[in-house]
Amino acid sequence: MLGSLLTALTAAVERSQSAGRTTSERIRRFETEQLTLHVLAATVVFLIVLPVLIAALVSTKRAGIVTSIGDLVPGGHALSNYRRALIGLEFWRFMLNSFVMSVAVVVGKLIVSLLAALVIVYYRFPYKNAVFLFILFTLLLPVPVRFVPLYRLTTELGMNNTFFAITVPYLASATTVFILRQHFLSIPASLVETAKVDGVGPLRFLWSVLIPMSRAVLVGVSVIMFVYTWNQYLWPLVIINAESLQVAQVGLNLLRGQASTGEVAWSMVMTGSILTLLPPLALLVLFRRQLLETFTIQQK
Amino acid sequence: MSTREVFTDRLQAGVLLLPTMVVSMVFLYYPTVRAVGLSFYRASLARGDVFVGLENYRRLAGSSEYLRSVLISVLFAACVVVGVMAVALCISFLIHEINVGKGVYLVAVIWPYALPPAVAGLVFLFIAHPNIGIFTSYIEALGVDVNWFSNGPQAFVVVLIAAVWKQVGYNVIFMTAALGNVPESLTETAELDGVSRTQRLLRVYVPIISPTLVFLVIMNTIYGFFRTFPMVDLMTKGGPAGATNILIYDLYRTAFQFYEFGFASAKSVVLFIAVGLLMYGQFRLSDKYAYYGG
Repeated sequence: MLGSLLTALTAAVERSQSAGRTTSERIRRFETEQLTLHVLAATVVFLIVLPVLIAALVSTKRAGIVTSIGDLVPGGHALSNYRRALIGLEFWRFMLNSFVMSVAVVVGKLIVSLLAALVIVYYRFPYKNAVFLFILFTLLLPVPVRFVPLYRLTTELGMNNTFFAITVPYLASATTVFILRQHFLSIPASLVETAKVDGVGPLRFLWSVLIPMSRAVLVGVSVIMFVYTWNQYLWPLVIINAESLQVAQVGLNLLRGQASTGEVAWSMVMTGSILTLLPPLALLVLFRRQLLETFTIQQK
Repeated sequence: MSTREVFTDRLQAGVLLLPTMVVSMVFLYYPTVRAVGLSFYRASLARGDVFVGLENYRRLAGSSEYLRSVLISVLFAACVVVGVMAVALCISFLIHEINVGKGVYLVAVIWPYALPPAVAGLVFLFIAHPNIGIFTSYIEALGVDVNWFSNGPQAFVVVLIAAVWKQVGYNVIFMTAALGNVPESLTETAELDGVSRTQRLLRVYVPIISPTLVFLVIMNTIYGFFRTFPMVDLMTKGGPAGATNILIYDLYRTAFQFYEFGFASAKSVVLFIAVGLLMYGQFRLSDKYAYYGG
């Protein structure tokens, strides 16, 4: 659909191109063209936002049933809905668990990966390439490939239904080590040489030179790691049975089950959905510049 | 040898690497090796493990249900890749061509990168619901009977739309960055030569950004295979009649509904090989296209 719109637009622009010759005509043509592009872009944005917009509207209604476009008016129950979801149905607990899990994984991964990247860029030792390959090779082992044996292992360790199970297995990250390595390689070598001459040790160098020089990238990878961890579904679903430890993604389904006994089922589910979307969305909007910068490193 | 390698204390290096190495070993490598081992056993939680040799693999090869799941996964991932990339390319090009307000449009389009797949699944379940969905009555007015709780192809399409919606933003991030790196002079030359907009996109930009496109094909394939699990789980549970039973969902059910851990491990090994082939494919392809990367 978008493609044909673009083609039609291009054809129109071409027709006007062959017509216009004078400068003022050319400027006018440029303006109409830009106007069309803006209208198209606004339509695209509207379509992409629409499903969440509907969810947000439903979260303000009592019954939460919208079967026609005419039903798309905000209701007056926003406050009571959010209060009921968070407190009455105890969704705050799932949110808190997700938050603690995500922050723990982000901080843990950051420390562990900073140390690994430091060694890989600034140390000379035998089999270094093998070590780097060993870390990169874990890209081939995403959670879906190993969650069955990981479940057995975690069960044998007696770690089912623990905070340990939903944080520690996430701490090694090939992606983060790789991004940090690429970034460190873009920092002039003369800095570390000077540091060495001045007798600055590796950890001091990391703390007072590398980290201050990597702020944007560190913020960027932190957002990537937070979004990744916050959105985890499969692993918490299988390893956590205790409701008190469950995360928001899986908690949404429990909310659906609990709420479906009452009449306000869908408005509760949409309220929970909006709540679950907000933390990663806020981070993306706040730190979009650092995030975009970091993504350009990742792809290299 | 890089001049950056100024530290030489091997013990220090080992200690600093230890956390990454230990976690990788215990929670990434060991379970994978274990999956290979377990795939030769009939293993369940209740009874002990019994060595059965290649029986699990023989069962897999002979299972028409599994074969169907493979076909559905491949078809689903292919549709995700094509759908996501076609839409994302149009949107990225649109943003690229706009003169003011690019940054605002960009954020307004890429935000579903942060959208939890579970939320995407539940929101689509709601708005496309066969009985109470907001668009259902309009689509039915067009003569389509919306019944994707029982109609396989319809369910496939609804999950696909949700999956594409969630993934377009991620692609736009990389595509707009790549388009932004195309030298201005090329665009000007193309315009002077009277090359039309669509031609400029397809003949000039697409070849130049092809390394990015190869990277995205791999990321989208992995997304289509694995990350869509929450949507399938919340919207269709693999149904109706297996129409959305992608491999990861099939694997989940084998392990956590039927508790057949040996059989599930054999399925994990197959997935591991699939990921390996994909990554190898990306490696080879990006080598081939490195010329365009410049």
